[in-house]
Amino acid sequence: MNGYLGKLLRVDLNQSRLWDEALNEDYARNYVGGSGLAARYLYNILDANTDPLGPENPLFFLTGPLVGTSMTSAGRYSVCARSPLTGIWGEANSGGFFGPELRYAGYDGVLITGKAEQPVWLSIVEGQAALHTAGDLWGSDIYATQTRLREALGDPKVRVACIGLAGENMVKLAGIANDHGRFSARTGLGAVMGSKNLKAIAARGTGKVPLYAPEEFRAVTNQILALYKEDFPAQSLRAYGTAGYVNLSHMLGDLPIRYFQLGEYAPADNLSGVDLAEKYLTRNTACHKCVIACGRETRSPTYNDSKVDGPEYETVGALGSLLMIFDLEAVIHAGHLCNLYGMDIISMGVTIGLACELFERGLLTTADTGGLEIRYGDAETVFRLIELTARCEGFGAVLAEGNAALAERAGVPELSATVNRLEVPMHEPRAYLGMAVTYALSPRGACHMEGDMFSLDLGQSNLEEVSLEPGDRHDNTIEKGRTAARLQAWRNLYNSLTLCQFENPGVRPLLAAINAATGWGLEAEDLMTLGKRIVNIKRLMNFKLGLTKANDRLPDLLLKPLKEGGSAGYVPDIPTLLAGAYAEFGWDPESGRPLGDLHL
Amino acid sequence: MAVKFPSDEWIKELSAQLNASESYAQAAATWEGDNIFVILPDADYPDTTYLYINLQHGKASDARQLSSLDEQKALFNTSAPFNTWRKVLEGRLDPIQGMFSGKLKLVGSLAQVQRTPKATYEMVKVAAQIDTDFGS
Ligand code: SF4
Repeated sequence: MNGYLGKLLRVDLNQSRLWDEALNEDYARNYVGGSGLAARYLYNILDANTDPLGPENPLFFLTGPLVGTSMTSAGRYSVCARSPLTGIWGEANSGGFFGPELRYAGYDGVLITGKAEQPVWLSIVEGQAALHTAGDLWGSDIYATQTRLREALGDPKVRVACIGLAGENMVKLAGIANDHGRFSARTGLGAVMGSKNLKAIAARGTGKVPLYAPEEFRAVTNQILALYKEDFPAQSLRAYGTAGYVNLSHMLGDLPIRYFQLGEYAPADNLSGVDLAEKYLTRNTACHKCVIACGRETRSPTYNDSKVDGPEYETVGALGSLLMIFDLEAVIHAGHLCNLYGMDIISMGVTIGLACELFERGLLTTADTGGLEIRYGDAETVFRLIELTARCEGFGAVLAEGNAALAERAGVPELSATVNRLEVPMHEPRAYLGMAVTYALSPRGACHMEGDMFSLDLGQSNLEEVSLEPGDRHDNTIEKGRTAARLQAWRNLYNSLTLCQFENPGVRPLLAAINAATGWGLEAEDLMTLGKRIVNIKRLMNFKLGLTKANDRLPDLLLKPLKEGGSAGYVPDIPTLLAGAYAEFGWDPESGRPLGDLHL
Repeated sequence: MAVKFPSDEWIKELSAQLNASESYAQAAATWEGDNIFVILPDADYPDTTYLYINLQHGKASDARQLSSLDEQKALFNTSAPFNTWRKVLEGRLDPIQGMFSGKLKLVGSLAQVQRTPKATYEMVKVAAQIDTDFGS
């Protein structure tokens, strides 16, 4: 089975039973890998009765066919389950080296069910898997956990995916960390891991990924590598990280400020990725075979942090401008706390943002918060709230349920900044109207990785062959809806391959790499067919889990025009945009159900 | 009367109009860097032309056509074929889209461009207001 190890590790924690299972070749051919393949597997298992934090919820770690090869930036893995935060399809993915190492250890993925009696961790070394008692590892932060497991296995090259305190406490904002501070952050899958009493998975191996045409594959991946020497986005990411976009984002009105209610505010320019690089960057970090190296390792002298992963653009928005904090050192420190405890920075920031807004409006008082005054711009309180949330203590136990739950509790669901209960990321759908489609239709709730219209409309221009071309970001038309749908299909293919979205070599080189790896002999249009099929199965899954067409919407908060900045006056025309997207996906306009051939 | 692009006259006109623009002065208040626009040949333009302009803190100076790149060094060199420049100046290609797509090639201090994108936008806005003769 070229491009695959052809094997899954199955883990039943109820019975401490581990066994190998052949990867379903038909599923892989039709759903590729990562979150697409996981959706195909879990489609038969999940239903409306699956308790997200119950032993029956399967937790699936999966790689894709290019992972661990010489393909640049193909080091990601996906984690999928029913989300405890949203109640719908949950998926998250992360870069680093854990995905490749899992494959070198002999597996395409790990499917975990049940719940261990006592906290455990799982080792997978050269095709041999074993469960170990976690002991006092339970309670460790994500960095200590990774170090201790490398020591336990006596090999510095061991790669670890683990949860922190937040996952152990089943905080619904908990993510899964790997390779220092990289995260499968979204949809609360760290809580699912915690619910299973599984602290970590440690992988190590020296195997190789079998390829259909190894020499051809090597040639095409070398050709792809060469593309990044002069690529402007790649140069920018290398120099300033994702936060290099902050000033441009601010100018365009894409950067959320003051809980999505301000379109422009001069101090936001202080959060520049250029300043970050000049003042606080200690080194760049890169994932497996990546020449871009967008990762940041920074320091924050004021808070005595000497080695911090990040901040990314999303961190700077969610823990900075959204909360009216314009001090980069404070943002670095807040991000570091989320990392240590293992929490999704976007969800944490957006939930604290709502708390600030509620406090401002008198809908939350010190009587509710255990005496804490929660004000915009107060970094010290943000630090405290992050700790309380991870520990599920005091008002932190309320925040641990997420933004939608907090808005409901306060009796103002219209103030929630979520789509299908997942907190909105740091890209304004009023700045790129196509993002409204991405958010409304994303199978995991509001997600910028399901279709980065901001990249496309900023000028990403090598996807003409799959009918994706940059356009006017404020275009409010059926055609924009169609474009956003195609991009969603394209990115769902990426999330299944599992490739980094900053790796954009264009259609032909990517197609050549997939074919040389798998021998599938695909044509360019097949890539779109695969992407749409993957979107469709996730949508059918969500219908099974209780969503309907009525859930294809944006929060009221994001449908009010901003008064200032580069996107002032614009709001997405949801019916028009969605009509375009439905037509592109071929969904029934009445029910919203996918109609195409899903190879189920 | 329309000013021919690219030409010494055109870059001098740009300089004059930038110096008259209050919004450019504000947007580029922290901008420090001279620029050479390199206009490359294509189907509608046979030559390579270099236009130099010094931009400091919202003011322009020393604008002129160069005979070659040896005549003057600059912090930025921005190059593109004639028709790509034309699209930018006619508002049919967003300058940032141009850079991200590689249609406009920028060599120089990325930091300046990323920290003050408004300066680039305002400069292009002013340039687009020049009554320009593209020769066809
Ligand atoms: S561009 Fe950044 S996130 Fe993507 S593979 Fe490289 S280092 Fe990882």
